Amino acid sequence: MDSRILYRVTYLAAAMSLGHHIDHAIRHNAVGWPLTDEVNAFTMSLVIYPIIITGLLLYRAGRVGPGFWALVSGGGAAFVSAVHFGPSAVEPPEMMLDGYDSPVLGWLAFTWLAVFVTVLAITSLYETRVWWQQRQVRRADRPATGAGIER
Amino acid sequence: MSAATPSHRQPAVVAEPAAAGGVGGAVLLVATRIVLWMGVQLLLAGLLVLAGAAAAGESLDEAAAWWMVYGALVDLGTLGVIVWLIRRERISYRSLLGPPAAAWQVALGVVGVLVATAPAVFFSAEVNKAYYGDATPPMLAVVDAPTVASAFSVLVVPLLAELAEPVAYLGVVLPRLERRIGRPWLAATIVVLLWAAEHAFYPLLITDGNLDLAFAVYRVVSVLPFLATWTALYYAFGRRLLPIMGARWIFNGGTALAVALSLVE
Repeated sequence: MDSRILYRVTYLAAAMSLGHHIDHAIRHNAVGWPLTDEVNAFTMSLVIYPIIITGLLLYRAGRVGPGFWALVSGGGAAFVSAVHFGPSAVEPPEMMLDGYDSPVLGWLAFTWLAVFVTVLAITSLYETRVWWQQRQVRRADRPATGAGIER
Repeated sequence: MSAATPSHRQPAVVAEPAAAGGVGGAVLLVATRIVLWMGVQLLLAGLLVLAGAAAAGESLDEAAAWWMVYGALVDLGTLGVIVWLIRRERISYRSLLGPPAAAWQVALGVVGVLVATAPAVFFSAEVNKAYYGDATPPMLAVVDAPTVASAFSVLVVPLLAELAEPVAYLGVVLPRLERRIGRPWLAATIVVLLWAAEHAFYPLLITDGNLDLAFAVYRVVSVLPFLATWTALYYAFGRRLLPIMGARWIFNGGTALAVALSLVE
């Protein structure tokens, strides 16, 4: 059950990330390589796709668990928030709201961003909870060792 | 007792809703809140007119100055209905708050809720700008109450609000709708929309002799991202309400304090 939800929220976050990158490409502001020659936050953010694909393969193989996804989601939420909302935001909300000729499209893009960051933050909290619960179960299942063992 | 028999001392921590009643209780609860919001405002406006403290056309605006205080009556009424429902269904108020959690887990959850609500804060700030520019949103600008009433709005009202509002919508209404509809996402969407719609009813403001419907729409739009975030977090925390109640108390108490200290200009 947890695994199925985890896959779903990962796909949702990946889809929202892709949508946000497409929005950047259409507006053509705050974009970098490969759309321009500049290497910037946009370029760095593209690294999330190989991370997600690698993470999914490792998760399927049982090599990583919810803790890994909590870090990816939480790190993503922090990065996107810093770029868009922080005091030193390189792309503040005004750039999105005024990025299209139609205000409706600007609000759509901004709403998408807010939902995207919220999904990442909530997903990270959910994955942290699942990680903690699995850790508690593993501890409870671990057989007693050390001083208690009699020969 | 065989090995397969579950222990009665250790309740299963299953993320299932606690409320057992039908959807009638949910309708009653939401209707009570909306009727109380409207009733209290109209009653206060009427009293102000009778006392000669406000002209008929301005009485609702004058009453709105006290909305952070008389909200307590709405929450007390809500708590009354909740108590009536849980007595009828023989369940405890605590069971509406979800599975148990240690105090440190609740505290960490509160921090998580505050962090996860940040995008809603930024979104709401842009909505405020779009509607009112740099001016203070009307629901904060209209508040004008004496010191004692302000202290009440800071110390008592936010606490009552947390004991009533999220428990009503997430602890009582949502589980009942889930059971009736069978699709949690649809039930959650309906709850968020109902919860947001309730905000259109307070405070009621008059502009150019008519109800300010643009303000009512603004109220709904500006609270929608908060309510959607908190409802999603309710599921993310395994239906635990205490972290959400704690974070909301900080938000609402902080806002009331800022208004009381005239920090909101």
